[in-house]
Amino acid sequence: MPPKPTKVTNRVRTLRFESGEMTQADLAEHLKVTRQTVIAIEQGKYSPSLEMAFEIARVFKRPLDDVFQYAAGGTDDQPSS
Amino acid sequence: MNHELRRPGDDDPIVMTAEERSVWVYLAVVAITSTAYFAVVIPRAVSQPIEDVSWITPMLWTLGFSIAGTIVGSIVGSISGAVGLAIRGIRPEGQLEGDQRDKDIRRMGDQRAALAASSAMFVVLVLAMIGADLFWIGNTVFLAGTVGALLETTTKIRAYRRGF
Repeated sequence: MPPKPTKVTNRVRTLRFESGEMTQADLAEHLKVTRQTVIAIEQGKYSPSLEMAFEIARVFKRPLDDVFQYAAGGTDDQPSS
Repeated sequence: MNHELRRPGDDDPIVMTAEERSVWVYLAVVAITSTAYFAVVIPRAVSQPIEDVSWITPMLWTLGFSIAGTIVGSIVGSISGAVGLAIRGIRPEGQLEGDQRDKDIRRMGDQRAALAASSAMFVVLVLAMIGADLFWIGNTVFLAGTVGALLETTTKIRAYRRGF
C-alpha cells in the first residue's frame, strides 16, 4: 500500500546519516519513541507533533525548518509517490 | 528513496508494536466471533418467528469469547513478538512499547468507533419508539458494536500501514 502523501516533508534520513553513526534505533532512543515511528517519519507516513519535531531538530542541532518543510514538493528523503 | 543513506541497524526487521499487534488480534477475534454468532442466529431468525429466536445465550458466549480472545491473543502476541526479536538478536527496547504515534492512531480509531455507536443509538431509539421486538434492539446494538470494531481496527491498521 503506497504511503499517504503529506505536505510536510523532512530531511531526517539525510541528517541522521550526516550525524555520524546514528541509526534509526539511536534516534528513536533520543526521542523516546519506537523505531517504527522514526521509520514512519522518514518515509513521510507520519507527521510528528510540533513538540516531537522540535525534539528532532534539537537532536540534530539544526533549526526546525532545516529538518521539516511544508511545501507542495518533496525532498530527496521522501518517497516520490 | 536514496538507498545509500542506510546505516547497518536500518536493515533490522521492522516488528509491530504491541499496540499494532493488539489491533490485528482484535480484528481477527471480532471477525471470527461475530461471524460465528450471525451464523447461528440468522438461520434461526429465518426459520422461526422473531420473538421465539434464542439469541441471548449465543450473544453472551460471543461477547465472552471476544473479551477472552482479545486478552489472551494480545498477551500471546506480545510474548511471541518479544521472543521473535530475541531469536533474531534484536533488542526489544524501543521496538514493542507504544508511543505518541500509537496514541494518535488509537484516537483516530476510537473516533470511528464512536461514530458507529452514536449512529446505533439513534436506530435503537427509533426501534424502541415503534415497539420493536427485543431481538431487533439487542442485535442492532450488537451489529453496531461489530461494525464499530471493524471500522476502528481497519482505520488503525490503515494508519499504521499507509500513514496519516
